[in-house]
Amino acid sequence: MTVRVLVVDDSAFFRRRVTEMLESDSRLKVIGAAANGVEGVERTLALKPDVVTMDIEMPLLDGISAVRRIMTARPTPVLMFSSLTTEGAQATLNALEAGALDFLPKRFEDIARDRDTAKRLLCERVHALGVRGLRPAGSATASSGAPAASAVKCNGHARYKLVAIGTSTGGPVALQKILTALPADFPLPLLLVQHMPANFTAAFAGRLDQLCAITVKEAEDGDALMPGTALLAPGGCQMMIEARNGAPAVRISGGRGNEIYKPCVDVTFTSLAQAGVAPVLALILTGMGADGREGARRLKQNGASIWAQDEASCVVYGMPLAVVEAGLADQVLPLAQIGACLAEAV
Amino acid sequence: MEDDNEILQDFLIEAGEILDTLGEQLVELEARPADTDLLNAVFRGFHTVKGGAGFLNITPLVEVCHRAEDVFNVLRQGARKVDAELMDVVLRVLDVVKVMMDAVRAGRDPEHADTALLTQLEGLSKPDAPPAPPACASHADRQRGGQAALEQGAVNDAVYQQLLDALAPAGNAADKPKDAAPPEADEITDAEFEALLDQLQTSPKAAQPPDKPRPVKSDEISEAEFETLLDQLHGAACPPRCGAGTAGGKAPPAPAAAQAQSKTAAPASARAEAQEHAAAETSVRVDTKRLDDIMNMVGELVLSRNRLVRLQSGLNNEQVAQAVATLDLVTSDLQTAVMKTRMQPIKKVFGRFPRVVRDIARSLKKEVTLELQGEDTGLDKNLVEALADPLVHLVRNAVDHGVEAPEARLAAGKARAGTVMLAAEQEGDHILLTIADDGAGMDAEVLRRKAVEKGLMDAEAAARLSQRDCYNLIFLPGFSTRSEITDISGRGVGMDVVKTRIAQLNGTVEIESQKGKGTRFMIKVPLTLAIIPTLMVVVGARIFALPLMNVHEIFDLDLSRTNTIDGQLAIMVRDHALPLYYLNHWLLRDAPLSRTGGCRHVVVVNYGIQRVGFVVDQLLGQEEVVIKPLGAALHGTPGLAGATITGDGRIALILDVPGLMKAYARKAA
Repeated sequence: MTVRVLVVDDSAFFRRRVTEMLESDSRLKVIGAAANGVEGVERTLALKPDVVTMDIEMPLLDGISAVRRIMTARPTPVLMFSSLTTEGAQATLNALEAGALDFLPKRFEDIARDRDTAKRLLCERVHALGVRGLRPAGSATASSGAPAASAVKCNGHARYKLVAIGTSTGGPVALQKILTALPADFPLPLLLVQHMPANFTAAFAGRLDQLCAITVKEAEDGDALMPGTALLAPGGCQMMIEARNGAPAVRISGGRGNEIYKPCVDVTFTSLAQAGVAPVLALILTGMGADGREGARRLKQNGASIWAQDEASCVVYGMPLAVVEAGLADQVLPLAQIGACLAEAV
Repeated sequence: MEDDNEILQDFLIEAGEILDTLGEQLVELEARPADTDLLNAVFRGFHTVKGGAGFLNITPLVEVCHRAEDVFNVLRQGARKVDAELMDVVLRVLDVVKVMMDAVRAGRDPEHADTALLTQLEGLSKPDAPPAPPACASHADRQRGGQAALEQGAVNDAVYQQLLDALAPAGNAADKPKDAAPPEADEITDAEFEALLDQLQTSPKAAQPPDKPRPVKSDEISEAEFETLLDQLHGAACPPRCGAGTAGGKAPPAPAAAQAQSKTAAPASARAEAQEHAAAETSVRVDTKRLDDIMNMVGELVLSRNRLVRLQSGLNNEQVAQAVATLDLVTSDLQTAVMKTRMQPIKKVFGRFPRVVRDIARSLKKEVTLELQGEDTGLDKNLVEALADPLVHLVRNAVDHGVEAPEARLAAGKARAGTVMLAAEQEGDHILLTIADDGAGMDAEVLRRKAVEKGLMDAEAAARLSQRDCYNLIFLPGFSTRSEITDISGRGVGMDVVKTRIAQLNGTVEIESQKGKGTRFMIKVPLTLAIIPTLMVVVGARIFALPLMNVHEIFDLDLSRTNTIDGQLAIMVRDHALPLYYLNHWLLRDAPLSRTGGCRHVVVVNYGIQRVGFVVDQLLGQEEVVIKPLGAALHGTPGLAGATITGDGRIALILDVPGLMKAYARKAA
């Protein structure tokens, strides 16, 4: 199946660039383009694309409103193009909330070293969305799977010291879903690692904090781990846990500049194992790739429980699959149940 | 490389158009500062240019556009109001961006914008300036070209290395898994690390197959292994998000299957998609060079057509006549069609005027409304470009010299704000451009006096000038009605240059003015430069072509009725003395100097502000000719604009009247 893509952008220059990049991949076919949100909605209805790439700033109708209309009229996977500004972060998060599944920065140089890498990245993301089709993450149908019964089992473990969550594509919506289900008196500290560009994480943490009963903040160097507080790894950096004066504390590092993921789930998880924080409850949620597998392996050796999001509720079933296939997952759960399960397990 | 260049051109075209629009929008904005749609549009303009520049990594451009975007973001959210000072800064930004674009166009790296300007912009976007996160490379750092980010990265590198070292005290290298083990685990140099990363990233297959988990002695993982692990995590174990398929994770069967399917489904869908494409792409961009080539070839065709028409008239064969008539028709259509492809709306030039008028009016503290009419009138691309400068000068002039200061206007019973009207319309094979103001108008007496004061003519000659001639005085070199030269109109280019430029385009300028009511400049230019209508004349035994644009009238002259005034041969035409020149004296060698004998033809031509008569031997008639440049040997010969091939296959030189007069009139006199 060729993934048929509609490119929506008010800049002809960008439409052509995106089209060129997408068409370099034989699995993708650009079937049309639109120069504003209104046209974008119309063409989505008329051409029935598998995936829509959507700019945010457009005349007549902006990208976010367009996503909203598409989601009502003909739900279609949408990948947003955003700018890496604070404003861009807010807009992107709004778009995700409106139903867009994924996003990429418009300036590819921010996430890839060269044009070719960026091109592959874009194609891969679009393809993943196209192949997946639209099963809204966390929808009722997605959670009607069998594992519901096994959820009770979560309790059987030793008292956890901390909850660590790693995720990528589809993560913002998934995290929101889970964290809003937690009570204000949630007894454990949480560490969140969401693949996200710098500048997005502050906005994202702020938004989560508003929506959730627990406290959510972007992690800063030296932060202590507090019950009921979730620390979100800052984008463009690595978040590690180290023992400082006997107590585990956060260390934020710029990393070596070479890592593929900033933040990287494996780095955070591994540092947790290293710092001797155990046992840990680690969750691997929706996302492309296999980040988190090696970190989870290391945590598991320290007695951690590993939960993975199930395929049906994932935007991209990559990272959870990696831990499942490595035999690391203790539980595979639909997104809709993870929050409740979590509240119960600790 | 070719590809990159194409992308760059693509960007330059789009960004150029956006900047033109931005110029207009910004001026509009001053009139409607609270218009959210307009603010949004301006924001998007900068946003899109920034996006493209970002794609091409033109950092200085990204930098300045980004900040402008920030300013308009604050504005569109209503957190700040548009004021004149802000407009000044933003308009300056537009200029800076244009300079950068020019640099990019010329293949140079644009220079970074002035720090002061960037700081100003930052100040204007104050309400929303985000604080930079402390520990890692912030967004702001990135935007600033990454220099700061690099330095910060270096510091973090050290910290990170320390952590790694601390985590791995002298590990045992032998324990390490083979696939990614560097020789000395505890002493990886950055270079080695880099090399490893590169290796792993370029071949994602090198990543460990996930379905065969690395055998790990679960209870005893050494610190050295941890470090290796960390290293791997950065390179191998996390497959690039963009890796083929899900190379690192176990690839779900879907992509492969999809590919296989896509092949079988291709023919059917390809057709449908081709149609979709056809519907989407209705225009192509063509290099103007190619259009020039086509125009050239059409020119050749026109010449052969002319020749055929001439030949067949002597044949008296009906069939040939019919075929030639068809060819004639098709050629004319083709010529028009090709001309149309080169047409651009005059909007391209007009678009810059709101800004020009705004800037001058502001610096002179005048209030001026600009009205544009006929913006969609199309004319030849080369003409559009060539007209830009003269028009700018005339519009500047209208605001500077035409429109009065608000107080003066009120005193004269006019509205406070003056109006400058800029209009374009097509009149047959000409374009008429009008620049009109409702200002003070011109005073013929003042102009006359000025001309005498400047020593451009004596009082007697000045007194004889008609009102219209007086207006035309401003086209004389060295004539300026203002005693102090403003930096607005007095930019070195005088009205004489305007006149010359337009004459070069085979155009004319006329002035109408009414004291106290305003002035109107009317420019007429042909639709195209490549093919011009001419009057073919014979001088001696040679054919010459006079651009019809210059020809005012033709009459027959009894040579005995000429007079000599001041040593200059002249003739009285309707009570006006008309200087008379024998073209054969200038254009032929060994021409008889006799000025007597019978009846001859006189072609009256416009030359600058005056008219002169050329005596010729024979009039052949009107013919459209294609201008061919003269070869290297003759290039630059004064008085000749080029050459062409006539209908009967001979070569005719095309005369350049201003050049001719400049080169010969003094000598002859």
